[in-house]
Order: sequence, then structure tokens, then C-alpha cells
Amino acid sequence: MLATRDVKLALLPALVVLAVFAAALGSLFRWSFLEFVPGSLQTGGLTLANLRAVLAPQYLATIRDTVVLSALTTLLTLVAAYPVAYALARTPSRRVRSTILVLTLAPFFTGAIVRTYAWILVLGNTVITWPVPMLFTERGVLVGLVHFSMPTMILILAAALSHIDPVYERAATSLGASPARVFWRVTLPLSMPGIVSGGLIVFAWTLSAFPTPELLGGGKVKMIANVVKDLGALALTLALLAAVGRLTAGRAS
Amino acid sequence: MTTVVVELRGCTRDYGAVRAVDALDLSVHESEFLALLGPSGCGKTTTLNLIAGFVPPTAGRVFLDGDDVTDRPPHLRGLGMVFQSYALFPHLSVRENVAFGLRERRVPAREIERRVGDALELVRLDRAGRQRPGELSGGMQQRVALARALVYRPRVLLLDEPLAALDKKLREGMRDELRAIQRSVGITTIFVTHDQAEALGLSDRIAVMNRGRIEQLGAPREIYEHPATRFVADFIGASTVLRGRAVANDRVAVAGVTLVVTSGALSSGADVELAIRPERVQLVPGGGDNVVEARVEGLVYQGAQTELTARLRDDQRVLALVTEPAPAPLEVGQTVRLHLPADAFMVLA
Repeated sequence: MLATRDVKLALLPALVVLAVFAAALGSLFRWSFLEFVPGSLQTGGLTLANLRAVLAPQYLATIRDTVVLSALTTLLTLVAAYPVAYALARTPSRRVRSTILVLTLAPFFTGAIVRTYAWILVLGNTVITWPVPMLFTERGVLVGLVHFSMPTMILILAAALSHIDPVYERAATSLGASPARVFWRVTLPLSMPGIVSGGLIVFAWTLSAFPTPELLGGGKVKMIANVVKDLGALALTLALLAAVGRLTAGRAS
Repeated sequence: MTTVVVELRGCTRDYGAVRAVDALDLSVHESEFLALLGPSGCGKTTTLNLIAGFVPPTAGRVFLDGDDVTDRPPHLRGLGMVFQSYALFPHLSVRENVAFGLRERRVPAREIERRVGDALELVRLDRAGRQRPGELSGGMQQRVALARALVYRPRVLLLDEPLAALDKKLREGMRDELRAIQRSVGITTIFVTHDQAEALGLSDRIAVMNRGRIEQLGAPREIYEHPATRFVADFIGASTVLRGRAVANDRVAVAGVTLVVTSGALSSGADVELAIRPERVQLVPGGGDNVVEARVEGLVYQGAQTELTARLRDDQRVLALVTEPAPAPLEVGQTVRLHLPADAFMVLA
């Protein structure tokens, strides 16, 4: 047993990281209330103009699209991951379990960028021909996001399912419930903690997804993170131009 | 002539190389309370699962009311089951748990309401309906499990070690209650247990199981007083089993002493096994018929009596229960005389 003092000491590194991160987020938050001076990294006085700008129709549409896309991703990931997680948690065969686990974890070893490029090949009609356009559409982005979210969802759901004692399913069966009814009335409600935590995690990280919509959306599908990046890049470019301009001007004079 | 409700014909179940149930034949009669009794691994739970349909037999057939149900899935067999851990659904209230089987049978809501109320009253839990199973004591959970299994009036009630999870005091109370409820409902009941006292006290008949087979099937008194095999004699009540050779049709030579045996016909010259209950063995001061000398090996004081373990001259072990206070102080290592009454022997097959 660790003494409370030791626990506090062990938490110190995490607290330092948290403090630095909180400071950075805090300053970003403060910046959102400061006047933007075009062509410069300098800021002006306090203003609500930035917040008002975000409420412009094109940004609101992006936010709405992002929420819808994230909700759809969460739902589809749940539906697609549940059977895999069930098999992973319930198979009596060690070999089947290892195979599922290796296949589930494989995407983690390829990295987001490589995986997304592979999806560009698949969605771009090079491997199979799709009846409807996939690449650079919301459909394509959705497929990429679901694929990206699957491993985590499978692991979370499998953990929740493996905590359900199969005796509950037997009991429901003995009471006259068909396999489908057993699932609906017992397995599904008992796996709710996994569904909720898996759903929250996938929804949260899809809200801030960047590489998948950037590459599979091809600039036509914009999620919040892509818009933020575009704006940030624009502002930095202007600032750089301004800085470079001032330098060269200073030399010339 | 009683109706056979459940019948197993030549049922075998293998798990890989292990034969859990071996060519088992069993008939369970209408309204009967039958115990499947045996040590762990004897196949009693597998037998119950064969009847419930959770485990298909490797060979053999299962009949319910004369119908072959071997290939019928468990949810269509219409049986009630109480699990060792009760398996009450933690996400449902007590009422919803009890209503589960009725809802699966599409019983109208109003009738569900009434029958759940009746079932909870039967197990004296009519006030706990809104609680979650996790908020109830072990004994109450057990009663909910019973109500849940009885409410849709199943043909057969299957009980898998239903009292094992309760502490001793509660277990005895629940045992009586279980018996009373079974009697009042009149339902055919099959009960799996490893506890011989439970089986003796509850059942109409006991099937003593060992290594996937039924060693003996009979009424509790019959099983206790006339065990058919050494295994049964040993499992039901600790018994002394003595090996000897019959020297006449009522005489057996054991450890250099000739014992009179009046409780079975023997064929002279045959090797025989005699079982005797420890409560029938008496400590005597002097010699006489059927008195053997033995050296005391162990003494366990139990208050009302002392359990005495002794060895005969040929090293065979004899158990005796000596009523306290003992006539003379006993010590390990001393030699005692034990009287083995002629009518107390059980001749084993």
C-alpha cells in the first residue's frame, strides 16, 4: 500500500504536464477575446468580434456537419465493432481470440497517414469500382473515420462484454428467451457501460479528427479541425509575409 | 402408476477426452423431488444441463413428457431453473426479474402484474418488488430466483446447488422453505447437490452419482441403510468399510476375528466388504461376540460425542462415535474393545 504522500509525489509529473497544457489552452482562450491585427502576430485590445465571426453561416455549417459526421461515425462504429467484440470476449478458442486481437490491433502499427493513403487508393476506384463516388465525399470520410475508430471501440466493448457473466444469458434462455431476445433484454443492457464509454471516446475524437477528413475529403469535406488549420495557416502565412516584408524593407532603406 | 416426466435414455456427454456422463438412464416421476448427489466432477451438473438443454448429449436421447426433446433448444423446453449464483438480472428490479419469463411468453400485462404478485407472495417477498437484486440479502435473492423460475408454471424445476451460496444457519431455514414450496406447488423437481444432509432431508429419491454413472437410486432411507456399493456407503455418512472373507453364510473373518453378520446372505469362501456406520460401533469394557480389539489413532472431541479413529490388528480403520461423557478417559495409542453388532453390517456388492 502506498502512503498518501507517496501517491501525491507520483502524481507530480502528470500535474506539471497538465499545468503547462492548461496554461497554453488558457492563453489561446484569452487570445480569442483579443483583436486580430492582420499581417501580424501582435494583438490589439479586447473584442468579441472573433466570437461573432465564428457564428458566421459557413462556420456554423462546418460545426453542424462535424457533429452529424461524428454522431454517424459513433453509431456505425458501434454497430460494426459489437459483433467483433462479442466474438473476442466469448470465443472459447484461444487461437480465434489471438487472431481477432492481432487483426484488431494491426491498424495501430500503420499510423494514421499511411492508413489514410491506403484508403485513398481503395476509395479512389483503383482496387474496386464503387457505384457512387466515395473519395472526396462525406461518405468516404465516414468510412475512414469508422475504420480509424474500430480498434478502440472493439477493445472497450470486449472488455465490457467479458465482464458479463454468461450465466445471465443462460438464465434468460431458461426463462424462454430466444437467442435474439437474450441479446436484446440481457446482453445489450448489461454491456451499456462499454457502449457509453466507447461511444463517448469515439465521438470526442471524431469531433477533432484532422488527417482523415483532410486527405479523404480532399478539401471538399471540412470538419472543425480542418477549418482551424486553414485559418491558422493563413494567419501564420500573413504574419510571416509581414515579417519578411519588414525585414527586406528595413534592409533597403 | 406414476407418470414419467423426464427421461434420459443412454445419455453420454464427453468433454474432449473426459466422459462427464456415461450412458446414463434416469426416469423422474410426476411431482417427485429427486436429488442428483455426488462429489464434484461426478457428472451431476452435466446431467442437469442435459435436461435443461444447455449441453447436447454426445449420445443418447432426452425425453420430456414422452416427447424426444434432444434437439429442442433450451428456451423452448419450458423448464424452470435456479442457478447456484441465482443469476438475477442486475439491471432489472425484483418484479421485472420475476416477470421475465411471463413477458417472453407474451402474457398480457395485467395478468403478469397479478401472477408476479402471487409468486412474490409465495416466497414472502411481496414488499421487495421495486428493489434491485443487488440490494437484497443472499436468502432473499434465492427466493426471488425461485419465484422467477416458478411464476410461469414450468413442467419441471431444476435446482443447481441452490443452497450452496448461503451460510449454514440460513441454509437450514431455506431447505425447509424450499421443500414446503415444492410440496405446495407440486412441481416435479430435480436438485443437484454435493451435500448428503441436504439430499437426505429434501428428496423423495436420491441418485448417487460417481464418474458419470448412477451408483444407486432410491429413497433416502434405503440409500442410507442399504448402500449398494462401497462408494455410496462412504459418500453417504462416513462409514467404516472392512474387508474380510466369508467363512459361513453368516460368518466373516476379519483381522483374525470371526464376526457374525445377520444382515445379508453370504457365500462361504468369498471375499466380502462390510460397511458399518460409526454411530453403531460401541465401546465395550470386556470381550464377547463381535468384539474386536483396536488401537486408538485419533480422537476428535465434538461436545456431545467424540469421534474415535482406531486401527484393527491388520491395519484396517474403524470409525466410532463415543457418546460423551465417555465411560473412561480415552487416549491416543491405547487399546480399546469395539463391539460391531451383527445386525449393523451392510454387505456391499
